[in-house]
Amino acid sequence: MSRLFLLLLAASLAPLAQAASSPAELLQGYAAEARQAAPGFSGFSAERGKELYYRRNTKDGKAISCASCHSDDPRRSGMTPSFRKIGPMASAVNPERFRDPAKVEKWFRRNCDDVLSRACTPLEKGDFLTFLTTLR
Amino acid sequence: MRYLASLIAASLLLAGITHAEEHEGRRLAMPAKVNAAWKTECGSCHMAYPPGLLPGRSWNALMNNLSHHFGSNASLDKGTEAEIRQFLLYASSDRDTRPAKAAPGERIVTRITDTARFADWHEEVRADVFRRQSVGSAANCMACHRGAEQGNFDEHQVRIPR
Repeated sequence: MSRLFLLLLAASLAPLAQAASSPAELLQGYAAEARQAAPGFSGFSAERGKELYYRRNTKDGKAISCASCHSDDPRRSGMTPSFRKIGPMASAVNPERFRDPAKVEKWFRRNCDDVLSRACTPLEKGDFLTFLTTLR
Repeated sequence: MRYLASLIAASLLLAGITHAEEHEGRRLAMPAKVNAAWKTECGSCHMAYPPGLLPGRSWNALMNNLSHHFGSNASLDKGTEAEIRQFLLYASSDRDTRPAKAAPGERIVTRITDTARFADWHEEVRADVFRRQSVGSAANCMACHRGAEQGNFDEHQVRIPR
């Protein structure tokens, strides 16, 4: 009876375990993609990620960057233009960050389009995560 | 004379009923069990606007165009999109599930603030009140209606910040 219960419990937890992942695993995935895109790939750079975070673009006549909504200090909370608080991006202060690959991809898809008017490359995604996971 | 008095009484009574109904209407029906994907996805950039604020065809039109959502890319994967669409239509103000195809000359409203009901309910609120820093814009329901996300727009609970 109790064995059956444990079996059911394990089965019900399996999808959860599958969804959870570490930022390091995510970075490994982006590194594989980056290598495929450019064989000369030599690793991610927090410095380039930082530059991307603060890079200003023009959208609908207004300057926009990642920092516009995520705040100038990624260790602090941000705010969407439509009044929702956004938790800090730096994983040092927000350990929940970058643990769900589908969620990370969803926001790259949307926000790269919003800020850069194009998709981000695997190199940019890896640089960005490297910046935000090494920031102390 | 007596006729006039009863006419006045009748119209007062009618006005009373109308007022009561209008007041009731400000508490929107929210399904007892809200869809979790709707709450998460529609509530991450802005307040999860209660489905009863728009008719079904408006929700259909919005869900058809999520990659251009008022200037933002709010696209979803197909499965989540279908799940949320179903919830929105089921709980919309008229439960109209027809596809959002406008008839010639018809305009399907997609902004809640463009609905006749919004204009009606806010006619006493000056435009500059919506622009206050403490409010932000008319899209920020919760600035004045604390229970907005639960569908509570009761005018007796409105608190307009300075």
